[in-house]
Order: sequence, then structure tokens, then C-alpha cells
Amino acid sequence: MPTARIRRIALASGWLLVCLISLLPILGIVVGLWPPEQVRFADLAPFLAYQGLSVSVSMTLFSAIFSTLISLYIAFMVYSQYHLSRRLQSFEKYLAPLLSLPHLAIALGIVFLFSDGSLFFVDSGLPRKGLSTLIIAIVIKEVPFFLLIFSAIGRQLPIKYWLLQGNALGYQDYRCWWFLVFPALLKQSRLALLAATAYTLSVVDISLLVGPNIPELFAVSVYRWQTSFAVGDQAQAFWGNVLLLVLLAVSVLILYAHEKLAQAGCKTLATQGSRFHIGIINPAFKAWLPMLAVLTAMIVMVFTLWSFGVNWHGDRFSLAQLTTRLWQDEWLFFALPLQNSLFIGLLAGLLGVALALLALELQRQKGTYWPDYYWLLAIILPQLSMVLGWQVMHIWTQGGYHSGWIILSHLPFTFAYAYLVLKGPFQSVEPRYELLAASFGYSSWQSWWQVRFRLLLPAIFTAFAIAFSVSIAQYIPTLMLGAGRVTTITTEAVAIGSGSQQDLIALYVLLQSVLPFMAFFLAALLARRFRGSMDGNNMGGHDVRHC
Amino acid sequence: MLDIVNCQIVAKTWHITLPDIHVGKGQLQVITGPSGIGKSTLLHWLLGNMPEHVLINGQIFLSGSNITNVAIEQRRVGLLMQDVYLFPHLNVQDNICFALPKNRQLSSKKQRRLEALNMLEQINLGHLASRYPQNLSGGERSRVGLIRALANQPQVMLLDEPFAALDPSTREQMGGWAFQQLAKQDIPSVMVSHDVEDIPVSAKRLCLADYYRAIE
Repeated sequence: MPTARIRRIALASGWLLVCLISLLPILGIVVGLWPPEQVRFADLAPFLAYQGLSVSVSMTLFSAIFSTLISLYIAFMVYSQYHLSRRLQSFEKYLAPLLSLPHLAIALGIVFLFSDGSLFFVDSGLPRKGLSTLIIAIVIKEVPFFLLIFSAIGRQLPIKYWLLQGNALGYQDYRCWWFLVFPALLKQSRLALLAATAYTLSVVDISLLVGPNIPELFAVSVYRWQTSFAVGDQAQAFWGNVLLLVLLAVSVLILYAHEKLAQAGCKTLATQGSRFHIGIINPAFKAWLPMLAVLTAMIVMVFTLWSFGVNWHGDRFSLAQLTTRLWQDEWLFFALPLQNSLFIGLLAGLLGVALALLALELQRQKGTYWPDYYWLLAIILPQLSMVLGWQVMHIWTQGGYHSGWIILSHLPFTFAYAYLVLKGPFQSVEPRYELLAASFGYSSWQSWWQVRFRLLLPAIFTAFAIAFSVSIAQYIPTLMLGAGRVTTITTEAVAIGSGSQQDLIALYVLLQSVLPFMAFFLAALLARRFRGSMDGNNMGGHDVRHC
Repeated sequence: MLDIVNCQIVAKTWHITLPDIHVGKGQLQVITGPSGIGKSTLLHWLLGNMPEHVLINGQIFLSGSNITNVAIEQRRVGLLMQDVYLFPHLNVQDNICFALPKNRQLSSKKQRRLEALNMLEQINLGHLASRYPQNLSGGERSRVGLIRALANQPQVMLLDEPFAALDPSTREQMGGWAFQQLAKQDIPSVMVSHDVEDIPVSAKRLCLADYYRAIE
């Protein structure tokens, strides 16, 4: 077969593969929302009349929008402080370990530390389950995510010179940040805002464990209906999924309205010319990252102590209580989920990174890059509805229950995050390096492998760590595609987390946190080892919220 | 008027001790010298933006007041750089509104917008008022940049190779127009340039290389 034909077939196969993976979310939504035979339009009335629906939906929408916007504003103020401070400009280096802690660990960690009967509040503190606890957990996790997004955007904007011009025209730094930088950052953070909102709208695991109970958050209700065999619950699940999509559309409108309002506000204030000095308000935010580091350390510490039998509920608090009994007793139970998590995470992570590289390379060869929205559908659509569609397709195939399906269900997410991380570094590789390699007689594949791939290695390691962490933290796809037969540390942690055995919860959540941390640690070591002209930390828009 | 007294730029391996500089109303002082000698650094020091890699000593007097330790935003110093950095989310008129000082005559939005439009019309750029910076040509951007800097009624104007990014014909035209505007408003100006063609005949020149000394 002639080489040109082989090349054409290879290219077409490549496109087919990446398009299939990136379109799986849409396919999932379409199949998931295809009305089952037993669903009729008349079922909408009982669905709408469901007790507590309006409160549940309002709370869900509120928590999604509020936590996203609060995180955005906190991150902006933190970023403005770090950007101004030359000494602290390298803050990105410290974000990876902070980002490696999964949502679930943060949610349960703050419960262990600050709720009733916890280390710091024995009598009263954060509710064990409540909207405030959920929002705090999400904000803690989202702020570093937005910081990395701002950092990636900020590298492409002449912020330094805008500030200088603003200063020269008589404005203080913080005014320049709000009037001149914020509108630009806000406009370019649309995708990140949407991803954060979509995540909170359809998150089930942390809502189950620390979210409110009566009524519960809407995604939890939908999940309950989806997994129930009671009469009428499938119809409820169908309409619930429709409503989830409507909520996403409403969120898009709210976020857009917020953007327009914020920009109009900044513009009005900017053109009024007011330069009066009202003091310094932002420096407190400089303390955010150190505080987050302390909190992360405390969370890991508190889980470790509990898992080794040390807690403050007994009469005495002493290290003499230290025991490995729980680890020894549980080893048999967590060995398999741990092994499954590692296997699935490794494969889903590797495949996600490989496919992201393939998608980028195919676009580079074509000469145009498709909009990010297309490649990132998995993180901007409600997960619950899309996984329902995958579950239906999985049942059609009658393919049984094994890790292969779980890996496939994690792949759209690991692919999306790896793409997000790799796109910036990939596009900034100087194309003349490959031209130079070609002039030395290397084939296009050889020069890609020897030059582009090598230059991208630090970014690839980070992308893998993120993709691995994303896979480790997946709950709904693992549970729905595995039907409980393939257990991972996360499914076990959520199952145990809804119980009351604190030491067991601590053990499983600790294991769930250690895996991504190890991946980030290894990635950092390897990235340092292979760092060439590309900076492994200079990623275009890291996104590790779901780690 | 601007006075720079006892100014010394000290780096690890070299130092420059400048003679005292006096720039009168409407006058232009041009600082020249090879790349890396500290021309822009000196300009940023005058602006109030302290350089990172060198030490600059000296005193800056503006109309008799010592502004050496005054914050940038309180100096009323205009700045025009090679890229004028018009704010991309504001149209031309709003960019100028941003720069206008806040006082009784310019307190309302309407007054400010009208004043911005007047300034643009005076230089026949009224038709650009509602355009956004990304839709302007290089020459138009430079003109709007200068008008924006002048809108703040600066006491001194600093120009950091302001015409270097323009094509030769626009550059000559823009240069003549800019110096005319500055002279008309009696604003003392300091310009950094390494292109002799940018320097008007009437300007005072100071070459940093003449005062360069290596540290042994």
C-alpha cells in the first residue's frame, strides 16, 4: 500500500478516535435524555408537584452560582496580590499539591476539623451536613483552580503595562486591577466559570456526604430516582435530567448577565475618573494560599490521626492511642479498590493524555484549532445526565462489568483535562525546531517525537498527574458503569462516608487523597528532570478541580 | 518644569553619573545611548516605577517640589510607550474619560464624555470616539494614546521610544504632531530614543554613553 494512502488512513482514524471521545458526552446526553417508553408528558405534573422540588432546585442553582462567583472574586483578589508581589510571583509552584486534594477530602476534612464534635468545635461548628459546608468545600477547591486559570490568561495580557498606565494617570493599583484587569480576565474565564458551575450543579458524591438533607440537592434526587426501581421513579429521573439541562442553560444566562453587569459596572466606575484614596483593602488575600496550605496539611493530618486510632472523643488525647489495628483489619478490604483505582487511573490518565496530544497534533496539521468548547464538553455538561446515557448504551452492548468500561467512562474527563493543560504548551512550541530537525533528515514523525514530544515532557507529566487525579476522583461514572461490581477507593470512600464510623471514613479518604498527591509529586520530580526550554508550570489553563 | 539633580545609575559592573538636567516648559529633553545602558530605566525612575536590577540615586523636582519619593499615581506624569496600551475593554472616548481628572467641571458622566469628544475633535479624531482600540491603525492608536496622556493634564510627559512601532511615513507625521501638541501645552518632556530620525532639531540631547564608567 502506498505511504500516502497509509498516512491518509491513519489521519482519518485519528480524527475518528478523538471525535468519538470528545462527542461521547453529547452522545451520553442525547441517549440519557431520550424519553423511555414508560415516560409520558403527563408525568411532568407529578414531577413538578414533587415535595420540596422548588427549594431543592433553588438551593442547587444558588450553590452552583454562588460558590463559583465567590471563588472567582476571591481568586481575583488573591491573584492581584500575588501578581503585584515580585517575591511571590512564583506561587504557581505551590498550587499543585494544594490542588491534588480531592473535593471529597476537602469536604470531609472541614467536617472533621470544624463541624460539631470536631477538633476545633466540640459543641457547635459547621453543620455536619448543610449548604454552607458544601459551599465552603467547593470554594476552597475552586479558588486555586481559578488562580491557575487567571495565571494562564494573565501571561497573555499586558497587565503590567495596564497597571503602569493606570498609575501614571493617577489611579491606585487596586483600582487599576478592578477597572482595567478584571473585565479582561472575566471575559476570558467564561469556560472556567461554566465548568465550575456545571460541576456543582450535578455533583453527587460530596452533596451526599456533606450537602443538606431535607430537601437534598437536586442532583442527589435525580441520582436516587435513576437508581430506583419504584414505579414512576424512572419518569422522575427523566424529567429530573431535563431539568438539570435547563438549570445549566439558566446558569449560562446568569453567568453571562453577571459578566455584562460586572463589565458595565467597572466601565462606569472607570470613566467617572474618581481617584480618591480609600486605603488598602486587598492585602489580606495574600494570606489565602498559606492558609490553604495549612488547611491541607491539617486535613491530611486529621485523617491520618483518625486512621491510626487517635481522636479527641475519648477522655484523653495522647499518642499512646496510636494503633495500626484499623489499617491491618481493613487491608483486605481496601487492597482491591486501591488496586482498581491505580489500574483505572493509570490507564485512563495515559489514554487521556495520548488522545489529547493526538487531537492537538491533528489540529496543528490541519492548520486550525477548533473551539475549546468542543473538546471540553465532558466538563461543561451535567455529568449525571451524560453518564446515564452511557449506562444505557453499556446495557445495550451487554458487555458485562469490568474495569475496561470504567476506563472508557473516565476517558472523556481525563481527555478534557489533559487537553486543557496541554493546549497552551503545545501551541507555544516553536515550529522552527521541527523544521530544523527536518533539515537534518528526520522524518516528520521522528522530528515530532524527538523535538516536540521532548519539549512537552514536563507539561505531559503534569497533564498525566491531573488526568490521573481526575480519574481517581470519579464517582458517578464508576458506580453507574460498574454497577457496584468494580469498586474503587472513591466509591468505597463515599459508601463509608455516609456511615458514622469516623476512623474508617478517615482511612479511605486519606487513601483517596494520597494517590493524587503521589501523582503530583512524581510529576513534579519528573518534570524537573526533563525540563527543557518549556516550563512545566507554564500550562495554559490547568484545571484540576475534580481531582 | 522638571529638574533632575545628582542623578546616578549604579549597576553591578558600571555606573553613570549624570549632570543636572533642567527641562523648561514646552522643552524636550532626549536621552540617547546604546541598548541596555539604562535609558528606559531612567525614564521609569522618573515615572516612579523603581527599577529592579540597578540602583538610581538622585532627586526629581517638578515645578520646584521634590517628587522623588511620591507614588506614581500622585505625580501627574504622562507616559507614552512604544505600545500605547489603550485599554481594550473601553472605547476611545472612554479611554480618554478614564484619564480625565475628576473636578467640579468634569464631575458628571455627560461632562466627561463631552470633554473627551472635544479633545478628539480638536485633532480631527472625533470619528474614532466609539471605536475600540483593536479597530484602530497604529498611527491612530498613537494619537489617541497621546491625547489620553494629555487628558490627565500631566506636569511632565515621558516618552519611551513612542514611535518605534510605526511605519516610516506615519512615524515622521506622528512625531511632528506629538511634539507640536506638547509644546503648545507648555509641557516639559523627556524622550528616550536610539533613533536619531525621531529627534526634533530643537530638542536638547543627552547621551548616557558619555557618562558611562565601568566599575573595576
